[in-house]
Formats: sequence, C-alpha cells, structure tokens
Amino acid sequence: MKNVMGVIYTGENDARLRELTMTRAIAALPVLGRYRVIDFLVSSMVNGGVKNVGVIMQKNYHSLMDHLGSGKEWDLHGKNDGMYVLPPFLTRENVGVYSGMLDALRSNTNYLTRSKQEYLVLSGSNIIYNAKIADLVRFHQESGADITMMYTKDPSMQRDEYGCYISIDETGNVTDVEVDPTHPSHENTSMDVLVMKRELLRQLVDKGVAHGHHDMNRDVLIRLVAEGKARVNAYEYKGPCWRMDSVQSYFKFNMDVLDAAKRRELFHPALPVYTKVRDEMPARYTDSANVVNSLVADGCVIEGTVENSVLFRGVHIAPGAHVKNCIIMQDGYVQADAYIENCILDKQATIKRNARLIGPAVYPIVIAKNVVI
Amino acid sequence: MMRKKTCIAMLLAGGQGSRLGILTKNVAKPAVPYGGKYRIIDFPLSNCTNSGIDTVGVLTQYQPLELNAYIGSGAPWDLDLSNGGVFVLPPYQKGKVGEWYRGTANAIYQNMAFIEQYNPDYVLILSGDHIYKMDYNAMLNFHIRHGADATIAVRPVPWEEASRFGIMNTDADDNITEFEEKPKNPKSNKASMGVYIFTWEKLRKYLTDDEADKKSSNDFGKNIIPTMLADKQVMCAYNFEGYWKDVGTIESLWEANMDLLETPMPVDLHDKKWRIYARNPGLAPHYIAKGAVVEDSLVTEGCEVFGTVKHSVIFAGVTIEEGANVQDSVIMPGSVIKRGAVVRRAIVSENAVVGAGSFVGEESGNIAVVGTGITVPAGVKVAAGVQVDENTEY
Repeated sequence: MKNVMGVIYTGENDARLRELTMTRAIAALPVLGRYRVIDFLVSSMVNGGVKNVGVIMQKNYHSLMDHLGSGKEWDLHGKNDGMYVLPPFLTRENVGVYSGMLDALRSNTNYLTRSKQEYLVLSGSNIIYNAKIADLVRFHQESGADITMMYTKDPSMQRDEYGCYISIDETGNVTDVEVDPTHPSHENTSMDVLVMKRELLRQLVDKGVAHGHHDMNRDVLIRLVAEGKARVNAYEYKGPCWRMDSVQSYFKFNMDVLDAAKRRELFHPALPVYTKVRDEMPARYTDSANVVNSLVADGCVIEGTVENSVLFRGVHIAPGAHVKNCIIMQDGYVQADAYIENCILDKQATIKRNARLIGPAVYPIVIAKNVVI
Repeated sequence: MMRKKTCIAMLLAGGQGSRLGILTKNVAKPAVPYGGKYRIIDFPLSNCTNSGIDTVGVLTQYQPLELNAYIGSGAPWDLDLSNGGVFVLPPYQKGKVGEWYRGTANAIYQNMAFIEQYNPDYVLILSGDHIYKMDYNAMLNFHIRHGADATIAVRPVPWEEASRFGIMNTDADDNITEFEEKPKNPKSNKASMGVYIFTWEKLRKYLTDDEADKKSSNDFGKNIIPTMLADKQVMCAYNFEGYWKDVGTIESLWEANMDLLETPMPVDLHDKKWRIYARNPGLAPHYIAKGAVVEDSLVTEGCEVFGTVKHSVIFAGVTIEEGANVQDSVIMPGSVIKRGAVVRRAIVSENAVVGAGSFVGEESGNIAVVGTGITVPAGVKVAAGVQVDENTEY
C-alpha cells in the first residue's frame, strides 16, 4: 500500500445541518463523544497503509486544521509524505472559492503532481464509514478497471433529490450513474469514494476544468460511463455507513451507535479510529448518578440522570438534572434540576438550573456553541 | 554536542516492587496501572513536563519490556524533542564487563555520561513509585535560592507513623541537621518523598567517591545523603503539602485508587493547568447499557457496562456483563467480569477474566488479586487476600 495516496475533499455543506455547520465543515462535525467525522475517513486510509493523505479544505476550515494538527494522531507526521492540509488560496484563475470537487482538485494540481504514489483514493466527507481501504484498492488493481467506485446497498443511505446512485452489470461494471434524482432508481448508493491512478485523476481534472466543469459525479462520472470512454466498476462496502446531511441524520447516527451490534461493527478492533487526544481523566459518577443506554466520554462528571444519550468529553450533569435522548458536545453543562429531551447541545453550551427544554423527536432542538439557556 | 540544560531529571524505574505481589510479576512497578487510565510513571513524567523539565532519563532494569513500549518516543508527555526528551536507560556492557544497577546511586553513577552530555547545573532524582502532583520548578527555585548542594522534598506524616519513614530533622531555616531512617523516637515528622535535587558538580563528586568505597551499598538514602550531611554540605528540606501516596503495596495501591472516588478528589485530575498525561488506547467512549447501575465510580474509554458497578475504578476496554456486581474494586485494562460474577474489595489485573457466577474477594478483610491474563473459572470462590495466578487451585 506504499503506492497509494489519499485525498479527502471537505467542501460539502448542507443547510439542513443548521447551526451545526455554521462555523465548521461537515468533516469537522463532532460525533460519538470524542470524534469528528474526518477521523473515520483518515483512520480508514491509515489503517489501509496509506501514508500520504491530503485534506482539501474550503469554508470554515479553522476547526478542521486545529483538529488535524500535524497529523501525529494518525501517524501522518513522518519525513516522507504524511498529512497535507490544503486550504484554498487565490490564483490567477481561482478566487479561493471552489464550485465543486474538480475545481478544488485543479487548485491543488501541484500537490497531485508532486506526490509519488501511483494510485489515489479520493473521498468525500459527508458519509461516515470505516472501510478496509486496502481491500478496495486490491479489488481495483486486480479488476484492471480505470476507476472503481465504492458503494453500499444500505437502503437508509437513499434520499430523494440528493446523492449519487449507480447500476451495475453482472461483471461488476457501472452501467449508469444518476445524481440527485427525484427518486433514486438504483439500489446502489455511491459513497463518494473513488480509486484510480493518480495520473488519470490529473488528466480528468485538467480536461474537466478546461471544459467548464466543476462536479466529479455530474460532470465526470456520468459522462465517462454514458460515453463508455473509461471502464468504471464498483466495489461493495458491506460495513455500516451514515450520511451527514441533516440534523436528523446526524442525530440518528449518534443514536444508532448506542446499539451494541452497530457499535462493534463501526469500531472493529482491526480498524481503530484515531482522534486528537485531550488527556481528560476517566468519567466520574457520583452516588446520585443514574445512567442507562448512553455513551459517555472521559472527563465527564455525572451526578444526575442520563438516558439514551451521547456525552462528549468534559460534560457535567448536575444533581437532579435529567437528560433524555440528547447529544451534548464537549464541556456542556446541564445544571441542577434541569430537564432536556431531544436536544443537541453544541460545544460549551449551558442549560441553567430548573430549565426545561423538550424538542420533538423528529426535529431535535440545536443549541449553538457557547449559548446559555 | 547537546545544548546545555539547567536541570535534567533521572527517574529510577528499575525496582521490582515485590510487595505488589503478582501485579509486578511481569511488569516493573512504574508500569502498574492506576486511576482508570494512567500508569504510575505518568505522574512523575507529567510533573516533569508541567514543570518545564524536558530531559528525563528513565533507568530501567526489572521487566522493562512493557515500560519501554509504554514510554516509546515520549510523545504523550510532549517529551519527543530534538533537544532533550525522554530516554530509557537500561544497564549496558562497558568494555568487557557488564553489570546490573547495584543501587540507586550506582544506577545514576553508571549513567554519568548521559548526564554530562547536557552539562546540567542541577539534577533532579525521582522514583516511579508515588502518586502526586508537584511543581519541581518551584523546588528548583528553592534549591537555588538557598544555595543548597542538595534539596530533599519532605512532607508531614502523622507522628504515630513517623517511625516507618526516613525522617529529616531540620532547623528553623529548613536546613537538614540530621537524617534518621525509620527512627524509634522521631524528633520530626518530615518524611523524605524520595525526590532530590542535587547541584550536579557536588553529586558527581559524591557518586564517584561512593563508587570507590567497596563497603557502600551505593544507595542515596543509606550512603550519599548521610555522607554529604557528615561533610557539612548545605542540605535543605523542601516542604510539600499536597497529596502524595506511596503505592508500593496491594493495599496502598487499592487505597490510592479509592481516594479518587472521594469528593473533592484529594489529587485533582480535572486540573487543566496541571494535566496528567497518559498514552491513549484510542477506544470509543464507554457505554452504559439499559439495566446497568454505575455509582460512585470512575469509568473510561472502551468499557461496556451491563451490570452493577459501585465505588470502583474501571480501566479502558473492560466489560462488566449483565448481572455482574463489582464493588469497592479496581478492574484493570481489558478484563471481563462475566455474567453474575461478584467482585468485592479486589484488584483484577490486565486482560483477566472472572468467570460467570464466581466470587472474588469479600466484604471485609484483605484485598483479593487476580493476576494479569488469568481466567478465574466459573462458579468458584476466591477468598479475601488471595492472589490468583496460573497455579492457583480452587
């Protein structure tokens, strides 16, 4: 796997994530108590032996840069290769705002040219997965295809008017690609993960941008498949995956992982997920603590009641407080005798003493960062 | 040529800690787990980095494998530096002879070349046996201000226990006038913490002289410090008031873990200004299941709790199955307490299994211990104070 590099594009955003992505990229969304979305993608690549990972940034990339640092946590801080953080910059033909993945790759042509690896794994950042990337690359190499798309048959990944869907013939070749259809007509959802030779990607980017194209799926893959100009095949990912495209799907992802079977699938011992370490002490439970069906991170102090919830590092639940079906991000504080249900508290939010806050189960309330209620 | 350092630390981590019984059968004492996610050595190493001491030699000898792997590059403590950092210093061959470290002073003597590389003004001597948070830089400033040749950190112990410790008798200006090892009639209650700062020039002389003395047992407490006192060197006592716990025995290791369940914690591990760093196992947050009860406890990453946990410390990656009941106990990394098992006043070491329906430990009496990697079969009873290893018959 020394001959494979990875590129993660973090330019996606979605208005339906509301306040959660106002100040950060989807890739930087905090999930499952101690992670950010990008941890799963970078860890997958690293566990597959990839030693050169480029992360293309777009808007609000400060929190993402802060999180990735030197790439040390993923062992991507060597002398050769490692983690490359690629923020947007002004050039003659580019004002620093990408209109799609192609644009972004075009701006980083230098990075693509200078990298030494023959193969390249290109991933979006709004689908969470923990894949054996080495298997995907081997499948690609053995099949002799020009491009391999990773897909899933998981029906929960299908959306109306959103996403990329493919049909596959009996030899595994992709016969049709549709983007944002009113209703998906294929059961196979593309996971926005592609494998190809680095040189091919460079050519596709050059040609695409020269013809005024921006989008990888819409402008490149649809054409290549329709015109039969390249052999595109598909690799089925059978593990768990989630789309981060709305507050509801974000909420559901966190709640799904409370299920033991799903959790064990996602956190497979052979595929550890690395993240920035915060050196908090273990969570402390006092004698008034009452916690069921919840994920709790280090540094929490639990004196109240917690049900079906995900608590990030350093959260404090005071005596008499009751938290039900909630996600509470880093350093959140629920004061004594407060009651909250179906809420997502962004970082450092505080719910004051005796407050009551109940969101509808289908539309959780989002409390923005640093807000005191 | 290395750049000069004002002060470097030498951490004595070679002891077996035989009073910890089967817990140190395969690991050195400083590598023994403590407090849910730490190992004992995290405390002196974090104290060093928080005190601005960025060069630490760790002297290992007994079962060093796990300790070496744990220290690694020193990155968790920010001690992976190009100028300084943490160095593991095992005994080595010199010319045709090779020898073990014969005593604490001999261990430092054998590594004089390491120390000289940094040409330090002062050397801080530490051990890997205690749980405490201490600003060594404040102690160094004290040492410099007093123009001392040696400064020994002391802490007050209850008078009735003073005869169990090395006691420093001092004058009103904190000068040490006398050192008594385990005195019958103590004149002071200031016990040595085993933390010393020496002016390197002086220490080098006394180590060299001590090495030449064939009758010496090459020990700081028995030889170096009494000799320096007899020579009327400037010896000062530095008073330390905070939490300090020797974890040299099974009972004291258990107690030190239970101390963390007190409110407020006697040693504040939430302190953001003085974090205790540890190598992170990289596991998911822990999961508390429906029907589980967790009270008065510490639980960390990678754990899954389906049963009952009260007044206990649960380390990374531990599983407490349904109907299992853990009370007043310490469960170390990777262990599994099976369905219906009852664990009371016990330490279950790393990667051990307590079989379904078994009883380990009792409500009173000594602490029971299950050794590393040991499986206690289903449906057996391990009495208070028993240490279970592979030869145990049930």
